[in-house]
Amino acid sequence: MQTEIRNRPSFANVRVLLDEGDRLIAEADAMASMGPSVEIDTRWNGGFLPAVARRVFGGESLFVNEYKATAKGELVLTQPFPGDIEVIELAGTSLYLQPGAFLGCEPSVTLGMGWAGLSSFIGREGLFRLKVSGTGKVWFGAYGGIYARDIDGELIVDTGHLVAYEPSVGLQVGLAAGLFSSFFSGEGLVTKIRGPGRIYLQTRAIDGLAAWTNSHLY
Amino acid sequence: MQIEILARPAASAARLSLASGESVTCEVGAMIAMTPELEVETAARSRGGSGGLIAGMKRMFAGENFFLNHFTARAPGQTLLIGPGLLGDIVHHRLESGSLIVQGSSWLASGIGVDIDATFQGLGRALFSGEGVFWVKCTGRGDVLLSSFGAIYEVDVKGGYVVDSGHIVAFEDTLQFTLGKAGKSWIGSFLGGEGLVCKFQGEGKLYCQSHNPPSFGKLLGPKLRPR
Repeated sequence: MQTEIRNRPSFANVRVLLDEGDRLIAEADAMASMGPSVEIDTRWNGGFLPAVARRVFGGESLFVNEYKATAKGELVLTQPFPGDIEVIELAGTSLYLQPGAFLGCEPSVTLGMGWAGLSSFIGREGLFRLKVSGTGKVWFGAYGGIYARDIDGELIVDTGHLVAYEPSVGLQVGLAAGLFSSFFSGEGLVTKIRGPGRIYLQTRAIDGLAAWTNSHLY
Repeated sequence: MQIEILARPAASAARLSLASGESVTCEVGAMIAMTPELEVETAARSRGGSGGLIAGMKRMFAGENFFLNHFTARAPGQTLLIGPGLLGDIVHHRLESGSLIVQGSSWLASGIGVDIDATFQGLGRALFSGEGVFWVKCTGRGDVLLSSFGAIYEVDVKGGYVVDSGHIVAFEDTLQFTLGKAGKSWIGSFLGGEGLVCKFQGEGKLYCQSHNPPSFGKLLGPKLRPR
């Protein structure tokens, strides 16, 4: 299997060249186009109950698609919003993904759901988070560019910008500054991230686009 | 006419260099800038082509404007800069024979010698393919410029190819497509979010767009306040 992330960072999409027998898991509706030798099998996102829980609490899809090549063929995966896509190689490690960030993975990777905590929910980052673990490649996307950073101490991130983080990273929600400036500075709530570990941020947030668009509607 | 495509793929624009007497037909509103010796004429039909009122009406159904703009160079070395309204890519297709079937809003411009007309792709395909009822059919010899939301990638189809609805930009008429289920079963296809897909048969060139405006709209729409 060969993979390539094309058209980065504005309209990133993943082109996968599957060899006979190769399989790939992808988020529902991620396929843009594919060769005739690729078959799709739809299944529960990690079993019936976890799938329902993920749909209800995590904003994830109920189903994932498994693509299988009966002969050599291509598969193009994309995301609904313009932005960048990143790939990481898990080696017995895991990564937490924010709702909507997951795009696809190799079949050797396990998709699970973890409780993200109330502070994550208050910070509008979701009550649950997707946990990818195991061995193999995982693709995830963002609205805007992806900014990866290894943090050691504390980093303050505006809500809606966090895309993925390693399990060693802790999250805590707080006010950006004092009550007055938090409210009037437009920063409001922020997420306090404590390392050590690697985090991935997106340089734009969909809520920011929605707020801008709303202010221009008559 | 010389064509150069700038700022690909996020905010593409096409720079056209026209010699004296050369002309090009563009989508209304596509002009960004031009040198003074270009004559602009607005008409409902393509240059030298047939149609008029009917052609204009059909184009409206295809998601294009009723009118077209013809730019003709009155002096040598004229430059015209054009671009689509949305963010996205532009590609250049050289039409030698046959026709190119273009998805409603993806036609941006074409050179003289290319006749543009609306074509009906069948009601079933119109309702379920995620594309419009009418498509723009480009026939003849010359240059065609296509635009999209997202990056455009080219596929040389030999035998078969599957495209998710909403991702088609254009295809040569040596290809035909039918609507079908994405997976092995109908239930799986809909639950898996892919639903209906366009299955191409034949041999020819196909242009796809990496992103799809309706998917982006579905994500953004619920966050907008009602009017």
